[in-house]
Amino acid sequence: MKTKNIRNFSIIAHIDHGKSTLADRLIEYTGTLSSRQMEAQVLDNMDLERERGITIKAQSVRLEYTAKDGETYMLNLIDTPGHVDFTYEVSRSLAACEGALLIVDAAQGIEAQTLANVYLALDNDLEIITVINKIDLPSADPDRVKKEVEDVIGLDTSEAVLTSAKAGIGIEEVLEAIVKKIPPPQGKREEPLCALIFDSHFDAYKGVIAYVRVINGVIKPGMKMKMMATNKIVEVTEVGVFRPSMTNVSELAPGHVGFVAGSIKNVKDVRVGDTITDADRPVAEALSGYRKVTPMVYCGLYPVDSSEYDLLRDALEKLKLNDASLVFEPETSSALGFGFRCGFLGLLHMEVIQERLEREYNITLITTAPSVIYKIFKTDGEVFEIENPSKLPTPQEIEHIEEPYVKAMVIVPNDYVGVVMELSQEKRGEFKDMKYLDTTRVMLTYHLPLSEIIYDYFDRLKSATRGYASLDYELIGYRQSQLVKLDILLNSEAVDALSIIVHRDKAVYRGRILVEKLKGIIPRQMFEIPIQAAIGNKVIARESVRAMRKDVLAKCYGGDISRKRKLLEKQKEGKKRMKQVGSVEVPQEAFMAILKID
Amino acid sequence: MKIGLYIHIPFCQQKCLYCDFPSHDKLAHLYKPYVTALCQEISGWGGVLSGNSVDTIYIGGGTPTILSADSLWQILECVHTSFVIDRAAEISVEANPGTINQEKLLALKSGGVNRISFGVQSFSDPLLRSIGRIHSADQAVEAVESAQKAGFGNINIDLMYGLPEQTCENLRTSVMQAIELGVTHISAYGLKVEEGTPFATLDKQGKLLLPEEDVDEAMYVFTTEFLPDNGFRRYEISNFSKVGFECCHNLKYWQFQPYLGVGAAAHSFLQKERFSNISDVSQYIACAVKGKLPVEVRETPEVSVAKAEYIFLALRTVQGLFIQEFKNYFACDFFQEYGEIVAKLARQKLIVVGEKQIYLTTVGMKYGNVVFRAFLPD
Repeated sequence: MKTKNIRNFSIIAHIDHGKSTLADRLIEYTGTLSSRQMEAQVLDNMDLERERGITIKAQSVRLEYTAKDGETYMLNLIDTPGHVDFTYEVSRSLAACEGALLIVDAAQGIEAQTLANVYLALDNDLEIITVINKIDLPSADPDRVKKEVEDVIGLDTSEAVLTSAKAGIGIEEVLEAIVKKIPPPQGKREEPLCALIFDSHFDAYKGVIAYVRVINGVIKPGMKMKMMATNKIVEVTEVGVFRPSMTNVSELAPGHVGFVAGSIKNVKDVRVGDTITDADRPVAEALSGYRKVTPMVYCGLYPVDSSEYDLLRDALEKLKLNDASLVFEPETSSALGFGFRCGFLGLLHMEVIQERLEREYNITLITTAPSVIYKIFKTDGEVFEIENPSKLPTPQEIEHIEEPYVKAMVIVPNDYVGVVMELSQEKRGEFKDMKYLDTTRVMLTYHLPLSEIIYDYFDRLKSATRGYASLDYELIGYRQSQLVKLDILLNSEAVDALSIIVHRDKAVYRGRILVEKLKGIIPRQMFEIPIQAAIGNKVIARESVRAMRKDVLAKCYGGDISRKRKLLEKQKEGKKRMKQVGSVEVPQEAFMAILKID
Repeated sequence: MKIGLYIHIPFCQQKCLYCDFPSHDKLAHLYKPYVTALCQEISGWGGVLSGNSVDTIYIGGGTPTILSADSLWQILECVHTSFVIDRAAEISVEANPGTINQEKLLALKSGGVNRISFGVQSFSDPLLRSIGRIHSADQAVEAVESAQKAGFGNINIDLMYGLPEQTCENLRTSVMQAIELGVTHISAYGLKVEEGTPFATLDKQGKLLLPEEDVDEAMYVFTTEFLPDNGFRRYEISNFSKVGFECCHNLKYWQFQPYLGVGAAAHSFLQKERFSNISDVSQYIACAVKGKLPVEVRETPEVSVAKAEYIFLALRTVQGLFIQEFKNYFACDFFQEYGEIVAKLARQKLIVVGEKQIYLTTVGMKYGNVVFRAFLPD
């Protein structure tokens, strides 16, 4: 197929605005899959994605479409995640495209995360096609939403496509707009090979498989390819495309999107963002790749069963392969033993990784409360960063502490402006701006400590606004704050994995709630367990778990021993998810309790 | 080989509100066919186990004494003709004080029964009514006395503590009453609210006024201290007896000895296999009456599980587990296998490691499940 008949595009949308459904319709309409093969939301192929209704991993699929002009086009759709945590995935997808569909819900209008992703697309010089979706809803108001897109983003919406992906309205119009508006790729066959790796995954038989977008030149089996960042040279064994399952083809030409395999065993040899070139005829310069992502949220991950430590490391390495934003380093905790300190883009990202480790790798985990990176300025002039509260030096050694702040943008119906302001204030927010998007919707801008966002700001925002608010944030720098370390003592012993860093004014309140919470979580044991919250040596809150008075089967009756044994086995099973901390058995969820304080 | 024989009578006049044992009321029409089927099963086993002798027999329920004197006699006679029974065998029958009379006592006596276990539970009438017992405290006293008059020298009384609205004082009165009656054995069981019982339903509705935990604990401690002080030695977590009157049949369960259970829902442990009979009474009758084996579930626990069972059963007794016996049974070294667990439990002061045996401490008895669980395979 000629390069001029290729279109590479992605889809930008807020969660629930219908991105995956529209993608499904495009696949269906172009006959890439028969309706019998269609499983709702084909591109979200991780169980977790279907269950949560979100896209986590970028996926891609190749569609063939015969347009009204009689020509057949190859459309490469690269699906993108919509959540703020996965901005990095989005930027990877966008770099492989010439255009993007911006889907906006005809009833709800623009949301905070849509904005962030649109700006990202504009930065990549992508042609943007506005799609107003869900026009079949009774509350749909396409004209209002169009105006909003023009006012807020500044896009011309005179040719916006009106669709209902669910009802199958406007699908052909979307395909026509893709063909007409998105420019074809510019690459040349004769040039040396230059392809961008935008994703990868590990296959037990084929080794590492790189997902690429070819810029110039051709890649085909038999040739030697070179990964420019790692200088690794391997023979190409297979190339193929996604329809949406992996299908081998004879070559990938300029503008093509597909995969390359070459018996690469080491996951570290293939870096997302790297450039693949022809080892015999290399290009002089690699593509610019991606900006490095910096994790904003850290937590400790520990196997409940310490013998699973190696398993956990392998699993993290495998996950990192197609999630470059995940970082991890070994760490030890006196309470939890050997584990890893892991960095994530945000809370959802953290939860997703955790769930994937438990589900796909079958590792029972203990996750410690998430933390941001603090900058510590010591009295002796030393400055360093910590991402684990237990590493905080004693108060005497600290001159001051700085914490990360973000610029948070909240879009909300104007009825809720009051509650959002109240909440943001409570979370130590600094009001910056308020802008009406239309007569009923408002964009509020605050500067907030990131720690408050990862603590419960988002959950509280959602519940205070009945789910109407959307949030996006970006790091703006560090600021000095009055922070203290809050320690939790179980049975008079400080548990390092339960320490948190909090603002001094909130320490007593948080301490009190936390010990109450732990009291409800820690099961009764043979002895009374005092639970204390302390700042330095000062205990600020105390509760205790009463001792279990007795725990013994009174009767072994009539020789039915199996039944008694099964009862004991069941009790023992329940204890498996607990970690022995000193003399106390602590359930997994205790380490996350800090997050679930209302 | 000596084996124990358990005979299950799955009938009651009225089901107690806490009871989840395999026993049924409203099945009086099945008494006769059941006894016929039961005798069929007994004589069948008699043939199979002809090389063994029986040294303990325990007729339990349900309420064995709900059956007529004739039926009781019929069962005992069948046992005697089917098995070789040791002359010194302990032959126990469970009895509900509300179902006993001279005729039945005589039938039991002439059938060789030498131990009667009365389910009394309490000597407080309001408590007896509130837990669904069919007899009064006076009837219990009369029943025990008439058994003694009929020549039964070895009598047990079952008592319960932790009952709704029960007080420590109330328990004390019952325990003292039992002691005064001159029985040889007292079992004191804590109430456990079991799934599926009327008590469980009441509990979920918040209508079951169970004693506070510290009261429940105090009652437990009271039984474990007061009974030994009055000549009843504790030999198992919930069992107390005068010297020489330990229940030999129950000891078989705790000492990993073989036993055969006959009747609906009865459990057996023979040649390291655990199996149990059909629990539905009608289905049991239909099967057994044809001379077929009425076994429903079979399980030969794997070695690690069998070891755990051996350990937690042995540790229920005051003597505990004899290291050498364990070694003989499983041909493996106890400490090599469980050294770490034992050390930890000893550190927690839950068990004592003696020269020949390990056994629970007083605290260990109270938290027996903590110890038992520790030995289960992961």
